Amino acid sequence: MNVLFFVIPIALCFAVASVLTFFWAARRGQFDDLDTPAIRMLIDDEK
Amino acid sequence: MPENTTVTAPTIRDNHAQSSVPCAHCGLPAAAAFDHENQALPSFCCIGCEAIYHAIHSGGFDTFYKLRDMSQNARGQRAVINSGNTDPNLTDKHFSTFDSDEFLEKHSNLLEDGTRSIDLHLEGVHCAGCVWLTERLPHVIPGVIEARLSLARARLELRWNPEHTQLSAIAQWLTRYGYMPHALRSDRIAGHSKAERALLMRVGASWAIAGNIMILAVAMYGGLDILHDPKLATFARYISLGLATVSLVYGGGVFFRRAAGSLRGVLSRAEGFAWNRLSMDVPIALGVFVGWAHSAVATVTGQGDVWFDSIAVLIAALLTARWLQMRGRRFAGDAAERLLSLLPSTARRLLPDNAESDQPRIEEVPADTLQLGDLVEVRAGDVIPADGVIIHGASTVHRAVVTGESRPEPVTAGDTIEAGVTNLGAVLTVRVTAAGNETRVGKLMQWVEDGERRRAPIVQLADRLGGLFVLVVLAASALTGLVWSFIDPAQAVAHVVALLVISCPCALGMATPLALTVGVGRAAKQGFFIKHDDVLQSLARATHIIFDKTGTLTEGRMTVAHITGSTEAAHAAARLEAHSNHPIAAALTAWAATPNAPNLAPPTDITEVPGNGITGRIDEVPTAVGHIDWIISLLENPSDDEINTWRKHVATIVADGFTPVVVAQNHKITAAIGIGDRLRTDAPELIATLKARGIQPALLSGDHPELVAACAQTLGIDPTLTRGGVDPEQKRLFVEELRKNNPDAQIVMVGDGVNDATALQAADVGIAVHGGTQAALVAADIFVTRQGIENILELIDGTHQVMRTVHRNLIGSAVYNALGISLAALGLVAPLLAAVAMPLSSLFVIASSLAQKSFHHPYSDPTGSTQSTTTGLNISKTQKNAL
Repeated sequence: MNVLFFVIPIALCFAVASVLTFFWAARRGQFDDLDTPAIRMLIDDEK
Repeated sequence: MPENTTVTAPTIRDNHAQSSVPCAHCGLPAAAAFDHENQALPSFCCIGCEAIYHAIHSGGFDTFYKLRDMSQNARGQRAVINSGNTDPNLTDKHFSTFDSDEFLEKHSNLLEDGTRSIDLHLEGVHCAGCVWLTERLPHVIPGVIEARLSLARARLELRWNPEHTQLSAIAQWLTRYGYMPHALRSDRIAGHSKAERALLMRVGASWAIAGNIMILAVAMYGGLDILHDPKLATFARYISLGLATVSLVYGGGVFFRRAAGSLRGVLSRAEGFAWNRLSMDVPIALGVFVGWAHSAVATVTGQGDVWFDSIAVLIAALLTARWLQMRGRRFAGDAAERLLSLLPSTARRLLPDNAESDQPRIEEVPADTLQLGDLVEVRAGDVIPADGVIIHGASTVHRAVVTGESRPEPVTAGDTIEAGVTNLGAVLTVRVTAAGNETRVGKLMQWVEDGERRRAPIVQLADRLGGLFVLVVLAASALTGLVWSFIDPAQAVAHVVALLVISCPCALGMATPLALTVGVGRAAKQGFFIKHDDVLQSLARATHIIFDKTGTLTEGRMTVAHITGSTEAAHAAARLEAHSNHPIAAALTAWAATPNAPNLAPPTDITEVPGNGITGRIDEVPTAVGHIDWIISLLENPSDDEINTWRKHVATIVADGFTPVVVAQNHKITAAIGIGDRLRTDAPELIATLKARGIQPALLSGDHPELVAACAQTLGIDPTLTRGGVDPEQKRLFVEELRKNNPDAQIVMVGDGVNDATALQAADVGIAVHGGTQAALVAADIFVTRQGIENILELIDGTHQVMRTVHRNLIGSAVYNALGISLAALGLVAPLLAAVAMPLSSLFVIASSLAQKSFHHPYSDPTGSTQSTTTGLNISKTQKNAL
């Protein structure tokens, strides 16, 4: 079970990475509007 | 007839509501149009929609209609269009104030690369088509870099380069396509969204930490290898300590700061220390800290039990509850920002140097910079920008926004006029007597905004219970440990661990907010927007419901209410009245605009007698429409019998609260028509049901007392609870008087206008109904986006269900915790069993909240879907982490 001494810190690193990703997304306002993006994907990108 | 008036575009549009075809642009009912081969052509409710429709087609923006229909089909038809956005008069607004340095400084941000960004509130956005059209801006106006529309909040984020284009050009473009832009204060918006994002980040981090500590805790409680390798257990404890410390400082910091503030406030008070003045943050902070300190000491010394998982979950759960509340309240904040749009932002000021001349020069200035004595020009269809006295011109105005009076009123030089009133007829010149916040509407708005600020902060049951809970559990575990160390020292540790594990702060902490949030989200799907979830309780216990008349119980516009005599005669009258611009004529014309109307020849020899009526010939039949006395004077040898019969009919119409119009054909009276603001068809049933449930209905209106009394009588509302001709201040006094007479009353006010705002605020629960003005939306706690009034009942039923769920959750988790803690203290629960029971209690609360029966009828609405997505997201997140 000694492997846990390595695996748990590695898992925590993943957790930190995902929290940081979440911070990045929240700071960029990704969670401000949860409604319009669903509609925006319906719109074709014609130039 | 009561008065002689003229009517232009805004009311005519409303009056077409009885015909069947939807307008090709906005979806409001419009008269059907056919070409010579009887092929259906696009129909329009007004000239404004027609202009916009053709502008969109010629601009190559047909995708707008495709996308709009798509989103409407997906979500159900929604015919809610903000008034004013189809008014052709708006298209020549110049927005010159939008380019002033002062304006840009106040409303927009200068970015590093020299571009500017601004948030605009757009009137009239309601579908995917609007998203597409407004986000085309960068393609159509060079210099616009980015345009992002938030559909639910009707907010456009715009970034543009001031060197290449001007904001006024962008605003004109938006207005041309029917989206009237309103500027918002950029600093306040930035503050709001920054605080919300910061809290969201705390919520996310707290849950991530709580989840990781829980995984470790489950392993430890499960006894994983602890006996084989004590080092692993120590390792796990230290990692938990590290994680919990981060959660305590970063997530729990909010509670510590506020608890410290509250303590300082209490200690600095002159009249001494008062426990009951302490905020709920104090027990939370204390409980969380004691729990953490206890576990930290146990970790370092290796003696005693750790309890990091519960501490971390408690912090995360309480933060989530706060975030949900903050998000819910965002809508209220948005509405407050939008108050600006009630009054026009610009005014057409006559330059003083030649104001008295025939051709005065006019400049467009911000309405709040108007000075006392300035002269402003108000065109037909515009809203009066300031209180003042008319010095030139005669017109008709619609005061419904300010007074609730449903009939348009004539005004002439010398009359006083208030800001917020709509000018329907002709151009007026007004001398300003009060501007900005000094106007009557401005003062009303300030009162509403102050009230919003004064509102007591919602005391969250979750907060109150959370702190106490931690302290109780700690005391219980200390006692258990002490007692068992005497009885059976070997078992003491296991029993304390079981107690700490089985106690579930999550179930207790989330019981109220989860049930309320699910309820509020469901309500939003049904078209009920609940701004403050604490009003649900008051609404469920409502004893009195006060209704506003105009626009709430009635339709809020002139229609043909009933006809005595021949319908053909009424059609003939309508044909004749099509040539008049009296409001009553407009109602008749709208009534007659049905596909199966008889095909009558165009009238000839039309003569209108102001104040009396109109005469003419239709198919050579002499026809007259107008006031009964005048009609009788036109008859040739009328019999007394005929006169008396028709006078009786007219008296009935008046008693019902309608304005009578009499039709004579071939010198014989053939019909009497009652025209007025009709009661909504579902109103009588609503009042009857409310009375049957023991809820006392009341009626308040700024309309003429006799009309209000007639309305109350028809509906069966107690005359002592009916007031007509009341101004906003008196409405508020009525609510206060009612409360004084019935101290236990839970008073609900239902209204729609600015004139109801004070009463909406003063009542325990204010409900703004469909089509309500901005002021009403701000003052109200709940607003309804669905047509009709019978859904008030559905709302009350829904709140009953939500409250039932809250009680079920609270009782369920309290019983669970009491039982679990007692059993563990008695030594009847093994730690492993406790580890299984704890998540089950959280699951119970989640399942119970989701299974609530509130607001379960399907109803879709574009804005409603945001709320539901939000709720869905939160729940899945809670669910994942609670386990």
